[in-house]
Amino acid sequence: MKDTNKNVYQQNKKFFLDTITSNSDFSRLIIFFVMFVTVAILQRNFFRYQSIVRMINGFTPLVLLAMGQAVVMLSGSFDLSIGTALSLLTCVLTSVMKEGVPVTGFYALVIAFVVAMVIGIINGIAVGYLRVPPIIATFATLYIWFGIALFLRPTPGGESVDWFKIFYNVRYLKNLPNIVRQIGLILPPALILLIIGILFWWFISKTKIARYIYAVGGNEESAYESGINTAKVQLQAFMINSVYIFLAALFFVGQNQSGDARMGNPLMLKSIAAAIIGGIALTGGRGNIYYAIVGALIFNFISKIIFFANIPNAYQTLFAGVIIIVTIAASQIYMLYSSKTIKESKIG
Amino acid sequence: MEDIVLEAKNIKKHFGGVVALDDGNLICRRGKITGLLGANGSGKSTMAKIIAGVYKPDAGEIRYMNRKIEFKNPDEARTNGIGLVYQNLSLVSDLTVWQNVCLGREKKKKIFLNDEYAKSVSKEIIEKIKPNFDINRKVFELSPGEMQIVEVAKAVYTDPKLLILDEPTAALEQTEVQNLFNFIHDIVKKGVAIVFTSHRIWEVMEICDDVVIFRNGKNVYYSDFERDEKDPEKIIFYISGEKKENNDFIKRKEKEKPKETVLSVKSLNYIGILRDINFELKKGEILGIGGLAGQGQHELMLALAGNYKDIECDIELAGEKINLNHPVIAIRNGIVLVPGDRQTEGLFMNHSVFNNLVIPKLSLKNQPLFIPEKRYRKEFHNIIDVLSIKVPNLDVPASNLSGGNQQKVVVGKWLSLDIKVLLLDDAAKGIDVGAKKDLYHYIVEQVRKGKMNVIMYASDNKELIEYCDRVLIMYEGKIIAELKDEDINENTIVSTSMRFNN
Amino acid sequence: MGKEMKSALAFFYDRNKKRIIVTVLIVSMFIIGEFFVSNFLSLTQLLITLKLASYIAIFALCQMIVIAAGDGGLDLSVGYAATVTAVFTASIMDGQNANLWKAILIAIAIGFIIGLSNGLLTSYLKLPALVITLGMASILQGVIDAYTAGRNITGKPSPVLEILAAKSSGGFPNIVFVLIILALISIFFLNKTKLGYRLFSTGANKTAAHLSGINVKIVKLAAFITSSIIASLMGLLLLGNMGTAFKDMGSNYVFPSIIAVAVGGVSLNGGEGDYFGVILGAIFLQTLSNLLVALGWGDAGKWLGYGLVLYILLITYIGNRRKR
Repeated sequence: MKDTNKNVYQQNKKFFLDTITSNSDFSRLIIFFVMFVTVAILQRNFFRYQSIVRMINGFTPLVLLAMGQAVVMLSGSFDLSIGTALSLLTCVLTSVMKEGVPVTGFYALVIAFVVAMVIGIINGIAVGYLRVPPIIATFATLYIWFGIALFLRPTPGGESVDWFKIFYNVRYLKNLPNIVRQIGLILPPALILLIIGILFWWFISKTKIARYIYAVGGNEESAYESGINTAKVQLQAFMINSVYIFLAALFFVGQNQSGDARMGNPLMLKSIAAAIIGGIALTGGRGNIYYAIVGALIFNFISKIIFFANIPNAYQTLFAGVIIIVTIAASQIYMLYSSKTIKESKIG
Repeated sequence: MEDIVLEAKNIKKHFGGVVALDDGNLICRRGKITGLLGANGSGKSTMAKIIAGVYKPDAGEIRYMNRKIEFKNPDEARTNGIGLVYQNLSLVSDLTVWQNVCLGREKKKKIFLNDEYAKSVSKEIIEKIKPNFDINRKVFELSPGEMQIVEVAKAVYTDPKLLILDEPTAALEQTEVQNLFNFIHDIVKKGVAIVFTSHRIWEVMEICDDVVIFRNGKNVYYSDFERDEKDPEKIIFYISGEKKENNDFIKRKEKEKPKETVLSVKSLNYIGILRDINFELKKGEILGIGGLAGQGQHELMLALAGNYKDIECDIELAGEKINLNHPVIAIRNGIVLVPGDRQTEGLFMNHSVFNNLVIPKLSLKNQPLFIPEKRYRKEFHNIIDVLSIKVPNLDVPASNLSGGNQQKVVVGKWLSLDIKVLLLDDAAKGIDVGAKKDLYHYIVEQVRKGKMNVIMYASDNKELIEYCDRVLIMYEGKIIAELKDEDINENTIVSTSMRFNN
Repeated sequence: MGKEMKSALAFFYDRNKKRIIVTVLIVSMFIIGEFFVSNFLSLTQLLITLKLASYIAIFALCQMIVIAAGDGGLDLSVGYAATVTAVFTASIMDGQNANLWKAILIAIAIGFIIGLSNGLLTSYLKLPALVITLGMASILQGVIDAYTAGRNITGKPSPVLEILAAKSSGGFPNIVFVLIILALISIFFLNKTKLGYRLFSTGANKTAAHLSGINVKIVKLAAFITSSIIASLMGLLLLGNMGTAFKDMGSNYVFPSIIAVAVGGVSLNGGEGDYFGVILGAIFLQTLSNLLVALGWGDAGKWLGYGLVLYILLITYIGNRRKR
């Protein structure tokens, strides 16, 4: 079907030129820039060091989770348990640590990391090897993590060692070498955690793992035909996600010195929305982790703008919910109309 | 002989109850291009896929590089030097061209991917087939022809000793075909053995060194073009099994008065897949649709069944214009479809036979809210008798039935409706001979009694020959020929389908 | 005689395998519970369990309908629809029967709007039902938060609702009667009417359903609307049971409603439905919850138990697997 396909191809090519010139990634940056400026205008003292630090501290958890969620989404799955997994890790950290015993901090780090990996493995096995639909598998594990977290910490609390605050603010520590203090005063620890997260992905993006995550998420059948172990790749995606959840947990415990079984719940839907705003396709295989960061920032800025619009506290959760739905719907409509497949004979 | 790369002997393969290969044989030599020819269902594609590792043979032996082999999957075959060029089955659309070419075989520089290597090798390969091709484009931006080229590059990337090309030219434009042939000549000089399957006789004659023809799952002819003369008529004879003059045609009914038109289709177009289709279906007629596989016949059946919302066409049923953009409209007008793929399109496998039979009734107007089970059961028992469906009772799940009986259910569910046009989308494919006979017997009887009219697409030409009054041959979404009377024979159908005009 | 009996029993076992296993498990849990808490295995306990399970079971009906429509459908907004209805209608009824009919109409309207939104977004925009209904749930929670902020939820349910939801007749909780009637109606509707046939066909094989003339999109839309309307009406019953409306009334029913369906042996991929099995599933969950409390596992144990049960079920029930 030579000429006919050429026609269809021409049609689609024109469409792609349109979308490429309107370059979705570029337009995201523009939106981000606009929001940035808006917030900067609305918030007094925006450029003061304190506000900047507060802002960074505010968006760090969502950015980290958005990155983790984005990796899982790229591989073709979802992680609905990301919120309760985060809660669980904070509970683990604060259960292992004993105040006044600095070494328990290290134990806590190691144990929490292991738990994070186990979380990733359990999800990854269910989705990759046992082939349970990811939405349902992570829905089940969501409650498993929640139950364990409640078991460890029925009410928010727990203990934290002093030096753990390093993950939140260097100021609180008295016995630090001066140079660390100096760095800490300029670079908030949250930013360092973010940089670690970005470097982690930068490293992985250059390896086979990242390439295969895109392949499996893009077209699992083709990836399988090409000899890729798709189950292993999906497992790896979940484990990478766990690293980000771990980093976010460090931040929270550093900030609050306590663990809470429910703190992560609202973050699950937000992490998905942030990833979607950032251009990660719901169907997998398409998107850029760095733009997921932009997505999280945009999401945060939207919330800030609403805050400045003086919407009463009571309505904020409502607006948050509406924004999530609207952004997901909008991104999907956009995706549907710049369809990537040449129209095949389809039924229904 | 050291220059035999692969030898396949006495290969047998069946799928369900259908025998795809009965006695397949093939020899591939270093630096030689072997063509596989054959009609739909002749076994040539199955043969190609078996040596590529896609299927495991039921019987027979394959010796590769003088070792007996049995590969578990095409990837294992690829690792061992047998490359298969799929028809666009193994690309990931969101990745770039070069990423796809090296997919699964990426070379590493310490822990990181060696992208420079992948890019340069991909560029090298693709340059030869299509110069100035940007390997950084994403696959979803490419035309089908370009995707095919990427598939070829991907197969060549691993330096295969044997390269199997399964209908590689189907999606290519003329210049691309020429380039591909030049490329094939190039790699052949390096000693690669090539297997080339195609429907296009002239291509095979142009590029192949020898040719093997399959029919009914067996080799029926071998010709070495360096030795023998290239004789297209002989080739068609062996593909179809009939000489041009030998017409054992089935005497059609005597010419009667021109019958009234039941269905008139004018200017049917569907975005590039169906083009300018025009035909008429007369009362009491069985109209056949034929041609090579994948030329739009399936899509035409779906279109007539009202499946395409945005179809452009001018359709009249018994003189009245109708808009076929939803299956419900087609069904209410008595145009019903029997799909060929019963598992995905025709049946609810886990549901009972009763459930399956009752569903179409729900589309009719003025159906009662509560299903009158007793009445329907009686009707369905009737249908079961009429079609000889072997089933203990109406409540067994459809998945329990044999293929033939399942297909009878798919046909049977329409019988309680008033059918004006019965569309058969290769409905008898893959079912046993007995069930086939039962089905067609019933259908032909109904048509002769004037109770329904039939348009049937069949990939098996024998069905077209035996049952159809007229046959329309399709090619690339258009109707290119109408065969009547004595022209409805294997030879003419095959040569017309392959556009081999004398 | 013995041989016939045997084959009849074998046939019965085969058809009802899942239900039998669940029943056995329920009975086992009662027995185990008895070891830890006296009177665990008693008529009172059984009746309490049935009463609480009925609530789960009715929400599970909503889920079953949406799940049956196929394509991985789920409705996470059911509990929230109930809460919203309860909160809004409490003051309208204000403890009188007079405005009960108004409350019912409002409940249906609320349910219709919620279901319509869920259905449109899932069907026409091809968005995963889980994400959409989850988003809807959070919007509804936002609405509830907004409405109840700085405002006391006044109003009490009409006495009829109280009788239906909270009270018993001759020791037998009335809500169980409601459940039984609802069950009979739905089983009848789902299995004997053309609506039910269309629903299950759509879920079993979207393509074949479409080619047979079923309007797949409308069927899915109707499934979501039905689910939300039933959920909203449940809000009235919840109000009747609690006597007053509060923020988290319905949210705890969402997850159990899904598990009850899975435990009941209904495939989460759609195309089938067995409400009787689902009711057994609800009883199973309530019994499990009671047992965990009796064992002293409390809140944590409940969620952990639920999660584990679902996880194990999903892994073992092959009908839920993704196809290669």
